[in-house]
Amino acid sequence: MRKTVRELQKEQTKELLLQTAYEVFSKKGIMNTRVSDIAQAAGVSHGTIFVHFSSLEAMIEEVVALYGQKIAMRTHALAQSSGSLSDLLRAHLCGIMEFEPFYTHLVIENRLLPPGARDSWISIQSAVSFHFSLVYEREFGHNDRPGIPLHMLFNMWMGLVHYYLQNGDLFAPEGNVIGRYQDILIDSYLKLLKGGMTEK
Amino acid sequence: MKTCIACGMPMTKPADYPLGDESKDYCIYCARPDGSMQSYPEKLEGTTDFLIRTQGLDRQAAHAAAIRTLAKLPAWQKIQKGSDTKSSD
Repeated sequence: MRKTVRELQKEQTKELLLQTAYEVFSKKGIMNTRVSDIAQAAGVSHGTIFVHFSSLEAMIEEVVALYGQKIAMRTHALAQSSGSLSDLLRAHLCGIMEFEPFYTHLVIENRLLPPGARDSWISIQSAVSFHFSLVYEREFGHNDRPGIPLHMLFNMWMGLVHYYLQNGDLFAPEGNVIGRYQDILIDSYLKLLKGGMTEK
Repeated sequence: MKTCIACGMPMTKPADYPLGDESKDYCIYCARPDGSMQSYPEKLEGTTDFLIRTQGLDRQAAHAAAIRTLAKLPAWQKIQKGSDTKSSD
């Protein structure tokens, strides 16, 4: 059934609001943003926001779900062609870099966000852990690597990357943490990993 | 591009489909060895185990997250309403 002009306009306004909210969240942070900030940035009235979202919480959940899915899809697309763990770690960082300001706020704030946004966070991590486990097993076999469980190796990598993002103001005040540190992050992690394997 | 109705994974190449059958709406990771789609209990257990194995989550937290994540996917929406617990293919 064809959509009416009114329905199409409604959809366009909602898309504009999701995109604008994403941009404002990226700049100001998610919990730090008020409905009026988004309304002002989108050039709509305060009331228009509530035509499309029942509450700010519902809006946050929808923005995080939408952009979380974009991040996960991009990571998946980049990781598909990864032949080695080094390629995969680079693909992971490239996926983050495209969304770095928003992703950084997710890293810092995700425990405080509504439950739906927390689930989107798990889905983003799952897109990475899925490829991490495939590449790792292909590269190092199914044996218990350097005596460290797979999830611990994954969490060590995530912990390292997220630590740098979380403290980006100290590591890269210009706001380009991944671009500036990607080589040393990947290189150091792989050296630790391979060194651990040699020792065993 | 299709995304799997049972886990949400994008399916971009024949190897992503069960037995390479691109007419299916679910991916190779949601299929049994004979190509049929896993049941909800099988997928729930698989997703929970995946979260524990690859991310180290607590079992109860992983199980709860798996229930909420699967509830958003087309294959399992009926199940969340309590009307169907069987697999389909």
